[in-house]
Amino acid sequence: MTAGTPLDCREVVDRLYEFLDEELTPDVQRAVRAHLMACAHCFALHRFEDAYHRFVEARVRAGHAPPALRRRILGLLLTERDPGAS
Amino acid sequence: MPPPADARREEFEREALPHLDAVYRVALRLARDPSDAGDLAQETMLKAYRAFHQYRPGTNAKAWLLTILRHTFINEYRRAKHRPETVDVHEAERFTVFRDVQDADPEGSFFAQIVDDEVLRAIDALPDEFRETLVLSDVEGLTYAEIAEVTGVPVGTVKSRLFRARQALQKRLYDYAVEMGYVRGGGA
Repeated sequence: MTAGTPLDCREVVDRLYEFLDEELTPDVQRAVRAHLMACAHCFALHRFEDAYHRFVEARVRAGHAPPALRRRILGLLLTERDPGAS
Repeated sequence: MPPPADARREEFEREALPHLDAVYRVALRLARDPSDAGDLAQETMLKAYRAFHQYRPGTNAKAWLLTILRHTFINEYRRAKHRPETVDVHEAERFTVFRDVQDADPEGSFFAQIVDDEVLRAIDALPDEFRETLVLSDVEGLTYAEIAEVTGVPVGTVKSRLFRARQALQKRLYDYAVEMGYVRGGGA
């Protein structure tokens, strides 16, 4: 695909998750964005998938290792033989 | 001459230990059991410490640790406790949820009513290779290239697994939302 080539609906839908993940090259990222601005159906699908993506991330990104586990690992490192000395 | 033990340990604590939260989060989704996840995370950090001379400073410590975690899980945990998956990731149709709700709830506001635990349960029902890909992307924010490195598959495989995992998860959460009455199902 060369820079500036317009994309059709199918090409945009195929790349929708890559677009949301910002994994496309800048040229293709721009071409997808241009299509979304001009196509109501693709734009609606994009908005829905974007909302879903942000919902999943917000639900699962929290969460820390239990403090007891961290303490246990720190303790084990202290008793571990120096990995550099072999 | 190797650095003294204290310096080595301090470097490990500075470079690797900040990623313990990420290691534990991924371990929890791979093992699907808090006790196993703790053991798995601990073993991963110890293995990493023993192999720390192989780590090149300045490279991606998080991806390096997650690679060790994944190997440990596959070699020592997966075989021990195999749970059947319940989510079908082999459906051919795409974006079926959007098609169903585009008139009633085009912005997917029903998702907001689904609680964290239900989302985690749904993720845990995905088959291993789809679950790990989704978790590395959507929970830990790794790029496709980093996920390919950690899971040892081409970027194209990462893309297709991620697509199918997200669509399968979305379908399951939608079915749940319909069941709970958060959204009217069936579509047009």
